[in-house]
Parts: sequence; C-alpha cells; structure tokens
Amino acid sequence: MSVGFRAVQWNRDKIVYDAILIAATAIYIAGFAAIVWTANPPKNLPDAIDVWIRAFGTAAFLMLTVILCIGPLARLDRRFLTLLYNRRHFGVLTFFVACVHGWLMIEWFAAQDALHTLMPELMTLADYGKFIGFPFKALGIAALLILFLMAATSHDFWLAFLTPPVWKALHMLLYAAYAMVVMHVALGIMQYDRSPLIPAMLIVCFGAVAALHLLAIWRERHGDRGPTLTADGWIAVGPPASIPDKAARIVVAPGGERIAVFRDGSEIGALTNLCAHQNGPLGEGRIIDGCVTCPWHGYQYRLADGCAPAPFTERLATYRVRLSGGTLEVDPHPLPPGTPASIHLPNGAPLA
Amino acid sequence: MSAEIVLFLAVAVYGAAGLAVGAAFVTVAAGRVLSAPGASQPVSFTFGARLLILPGAAALWPYVLLRWRRALRQP
Ligand code: FES
Repeated sequence: MSVGFRAVQWNRDKIVYDAILIAATAIYIAGFAAIVWTANPPKNLPDAIDVWIRAFGTAAFLMLTVILCIGPLARLDRRFLTLLYNRRHFGVLTFFVACVHGWLMIEWFAAQDALHTLMPELMTLADYGKFIGFPFKALGIAALLILFLMAATSHDFWLAFLTPPVWKALHMLLYAAYAMVVMHVALGIMQYDRSPLIPAMLIVCFGAVAALHLLAIWRERHGDRGPTLTADGWIAVGPPASIPDKAARIVVAPGGERIAVFRDGSEIGALTNLCAHQNGPLGEGRIIDGCVTCPWHGYQYRLADGCAPAPFTERLATYRVRLSGGTLEVDPHPLPPGTPASIHLPNGAPLA
Repeated sequence: MSAEIVLFLAVAVYGAAGLAVGAAFVTVAAGRVLSAPGASQPVSFTFGARLLILPGAAALWPYVLLRWRRALRQP
C-alpha cells in the first residue's frame, strides 16, 4: 500500500467511526459546559471562558485516557479491536481539542488584560523547583507540542519516511505527554480548585490506564501456553474446522513468534501475525475480497504467498502447513517473505 | 534582549524556516525521497496528502532537509 499517498484512505467504517467520535466529543463538551454553567453561573467574561477551558481540558484528558486504554483493551478482548482501527483520527481530534483549550487560556489572560504576565509566569525558573506554585501551564504546553508532533506525523507518509521503528518510538511519546497532562491537571487543581470531582477523575483515569496495561502484560505472559509439537517439531493447530472460515487462529511458535493460520474455504495458509505496516495483529483480521486484511488500517495480503496484491509491494513471511491425520500442522520456521506456502484441503475434508 | 524575546524570535525563525522548507519539500521532493533508488517514477501524492504532510515537514525541517540532500546525491 505504498505506491501513492492520498490525504485519507476513507471507507465507510472510518466515516462512521469519525462521526461517532466527533459527536461524542461535542456532546461531552457542551454537556460539561451546560452543567457547570447552570450550577455556578459565571459572573464575568473570564469566568465564562474558564468554564470552556475546563470543558475542553477535561475532554482532551479523557480522550487521551481512552486512546491509551484502547491498546491493552484490544489485547484483552478482540471486541475492542474496532476502536483500535482508526485510532490515529482519535489522536488528531484530541490534539485539536487540546489546542482549543490552550487558545482559551490565552483568551482568559487577554480578557483580564494580563497577557503580559503569561510569559514571565512560564519563564520564572525558580518556580520550577516548587511543588505548589509550579508553572503547570508549561507542562500543558509541552504535552501540546508532543500531541502536535504526533498529529503532524500521523499520515502514512511519515511511517515510510521515518521508518517504522523511529515512527513507533516517536509515537510512544504519547505516554510522556499523558504523564505531563496528569501533572498539569493535578498541579493546576491544587492551585485553583477545591472541587473533588477533577481529582477523582484524575485518579480513576490514571488508575484505569495503569491497571489495563498491567493486566494486558500479565495476560500475555501467562496466557501463551506452550504449543503442542509433533515429533518433527511442527506445531499442531487442530482440525481445519477449528479455524473459522475467512478468519484465523493464532498459534505461538516455541520462540514466541505468533503465527496466524487462516482458512479461506478449503485453502489454508499461515502468515506471520505481524502486519508489514505497523505490526498490527493480522490474525485478528479477516479475509476480505480474497485477501487477508489487517484489522488496524486495512493493508491486504494474499493468503497463498503473503504478498500484497499489485501494485503494492509489501511481503510477509509465510509458514509451511500440512494436514496430518485430520490435524493441521504448521512448521514454526518462517519462509522468506513472499514464498507461496498455502495448501488446499482434499475434497471431503470436514469443514463444519 | 530579554529571555522571552530571544525565545520568541527563536521559535519564529524556526517556524518560518520550517514553513519554507516544508512547502518546497511537499511540492517537489516528497515523492523522490521515498522512491527506491533508480525508480523511474517518483511516488505519487494527491494535493490533500501534500497538505497533510506539510505541518510535519515544517516541524521536522532539519531532518527533512538532510534526507532531501541524501536523495539528491543518489544516482
Ligand atoms: S498495522 Fe496498519 S494495516 Fe496493519
């Protein structure tokens, strides 16, 4: 999928995803502002702006939390995979929401004719040593810069240009941004706010992100039971019917690599579970239009040889498969990317 | 000059250079840089894709420039 670049590879799912995302964000922000406004009507313009600052700020924080929870959730339960798909749009929208929050803050200073105090507040180095009184806005600005960098490099072009390891490392900065945002909110509230609502939100969100990550790691360590090996070292997968049609079962090789064994009717093929795009979990995808389709961004590969259909050039490692006494078996040694290796089950092999 | 003005100027100069390099890169070089050495056709980009790449190219302009120069040196 690397021959030409378009702005966004739209499809129906992405449009629905984005529509729900935008609607949910708008409802949250409007709802938050309405509730605070009614409970505590602002007395002047800065107070009114402050309501919106909080609405957009908490929205961005919650969105970041959800983004960070999607990864481990999808590893724990495949039903969350739909959320993972298109997560980049989620990230870009979060950046825009955070931008509005930052812009409102400047408006808040301007409304009080205090814009000139903002820079000195950020540049008083002595304050960075304090706990109460720490220039927490600087943390927010740093996090916003990271979000900008991630949004600006979220297009597929950047993945190809920077290479996947660098791109991935860059996008891991999201964790640093989240830590900064947590501190930004915590230190900010300690200075201005006495309501217990926001600290509670902070603890619940941060706790959820940490707990889900730990749970996913624990599951992965303990969930991967060793494979059943045949006498000559092949992995026993099970009867062909144990693989749902047009989908896969993932087996783990003794070295720990995951192999996706797909079935398309009576054709069986095994590919590495790692998508060539961003290491997405191919085995959690389906066969669409005759091709194994990655659940993350829709890259496609032929089952027979792991090659992306022309004009694309990606290739995946394949694995040899065989049917022995009614059981499918996979050779755990990968073949060079693009090697044809799928088999066709003999007529009459039970498939249901 | 106060520290604030120095900071402001540094950001402004970096940003302006970024916009200039970024705009030139997405217009003429993005496709070249990604094509395999010796490829007859540069990778194609729609106008929308070029526009979406611009902010990143402006932010990372020193690295973009480096890669551009490397691509020009390749036969
Ligand atoms: S990881 Fe992006 S399509 Fe597979």
